[in-house]
Amino acid sequence: MRLGEPSRLQAVINVTPLVDVVLVLLIIFMVMAPQLSKGPDVTLPDTAKPRDQGDERSRILVTIDEAGGLWIDDQSFPADRFEEGLRAAAGDDPDPKVVIRADARLRLGEVRQAMLAIEQAGFHGVGLIAKRIGTETKGD
Amino acid sequence: MQLNSDVSGSDLHSEINVTPLVDVVLVLLIIFMVVVPLLLQGYDANIARTSANAAPAQAEESQLILSIVPTACRILEPPEGDGLPADCRVTLADREIRAADLPARVAELLGGRPAEKRVLFLAADNRLNYEGVLRIVDLAKSNIDDLTIEFITTD
Repeated sequence: MRLGEPSRLQAVINVTPLVDVVLVLLIIFMVMAPQLSKGPDVTLPDTAKPRDQGDERSRILVTIDEAGGLWIDDQSFPADRFEEGLRAAAGDDPDPKVVIRADARLRLGEVRQAMLAIEQAGFHGVGLIAKRIGTETKGD
Repeated sequence: MQLNSDVSGSDLHSEINVTPLVDVVLVLLIIFMVVVPLLLQGYDANIARTSANAAPAQAEESQLILSIVPTACRILEPPEGDGLPADCRVTLADREIRAADLPARVAELLGGRPAEKRVLFLAADNRLNYEGVLRIVDLAKSNIDDLTIEFITTD
């Protein structure tokens, strides 16, 4: 210790490992997060300029997988119980909004059939979910 | 100069203050955790019946119909690459045009209307690939805001 100076004990926490860990966590979440959403994996259609369809928690999420199977959120439904399932999923929501995550390899007819069933169950208008070309999302 | 000391003869501390950086990174982490998996992107679409309950507000003469048939636009399988087949043609208001001209034509035909009357009726073959049809929908919407897409269904 030199003259005229107080103790130079430094109580600084070494934050470098913390920053490392947090950065790695950040990257892990950035990569993994799109795959945490509900429903089975599908290859969403790639399009140039899809519009914002809001938050998936406020939507009834219908998924049509590659084989044409229908899902509401995480649950698979046979075609004859689909409308019933939709109404159950809507619950008390006065203005429920349905979005369809359909596999890019499907034929339009299969998606149209689901749209008709949704209309029949009393929901007007759907959102057809796509992903912007060049972005990574679930199912890739 | 002392060994075993991190203050080697100088009182100047040239350490970067990382606390704000850590704060920012943590907040970013939380934002990504909460927001990213839940945002959806896509296209609004309705089903229009050609039976009695078809869009009553739409006057007959102002209906703009876009037809897609597999003979003019070969999209029975998912289109390769990012776009549509180069020779893809669609029929808009009874005129066959190249799919690439769609954004300009739709904007020209519907751009003058108020937002609630910008409706495009889509008559697409059921055998067409879904991704291909969505890419055509994307083209139709790309130069105009508030365009409503109505899938025509006969049943």
